[in-house]
Amino acid sequence: MASAFAGRGRYSIYTGRVTNWPMVVLSVVPMAPLLVMGGSSNENWRGFVVPLLVAAAVGLVNALTGSSVRTAAGPNGISVRFGPLGWPRCTYGLEQVERAEVIDLHPWYVAFGFWWTPRRTYCTVRSGPTLQLTLRTGRTVTVTVPDARAAVMAIHEAQSA
Amino acid sequence: MRWVIDHSSRELLQHQIASCVRQDVASGELTVGEQLPPAVELAEALSVDRNTVLAAYRQLRDEGLLEFRRGRGARVASAVTEPAPVTEAARALVAVARRHGLGRSELIRLIEELT
Repeated sequence: MASAFAGRGRYSIYTGRVTNWPMVVLSVVPMAPLLVMGGSSNENWRGFVVPLLVAAAVGLVNALTGSSVRTAAGPNGISVRFGPLGWPRCTYGLEQVERAEVIDLHPWYVAFGFWWTPRRTYCTVRSGPTLQLTLRTGRTVTVTVPDARAAVMAIHEAQSA
Repeated sequence: MRWVIDHSSRELLQHQIASCVRQDVASGELTVGEQLPPAVELAEALSVDRNTVLAAYRQLRDEGLLEFRRGRGARVASAVTEPAPVTEAARALVAVARRHGLGRSELIRLIEELT
């Protein structure tokens, strides 16, 4: 087991999991018109099967990557894993983190699932109090956790140890 | 959920991990049906072996606190009725009594005298 702090003694870590199944359902619902159009526009069975496969693939990808997020924070850094398979996965060492804070994420600004832009990474599945990491590179990482304050405390404690 | 373990403590790591779960269930932070972190992920974060976490989870399953389901990991099966600190103190008391050769009946008599 690789550990940056092996043998140091006390380990205080935070773990949390947030699941948002309604969002997965909502992401599949917009596919319904596509299925209906595919079925009605073409009498050939392929007209229905292809959109159905597309909808199933979209639903599966959403369920696997955007339904839940698991976070662990402590002396070994912060790891964020998506979905039941734990992938995609992001890991940030404590030395990479310049600031950890709690932000109140407005529902309009929730990027459901895993999103990446040149300056920001979003690992969010709901609004409300959210953990935000500011990395030394300037990138911000926003992560949904059940208790953002406890996560920030665990990170601060690990950084000051 | 917060996990605190001390690698330098004489108490077994698996017991410390199990205590964290007991305390959180007793305090209501972990509710029935809630899923615990996969053993691999928790072991990585705590810098312990995966088998240590699995041993703690199995211990809690044997106590009836957790249940394992295929593909769904470890979940809280029931809420303990006794506060975790009391359970821990009782365990320590039983261990000390055994070390000093005190039997079950003597220990119960002693507790009855004190309560």
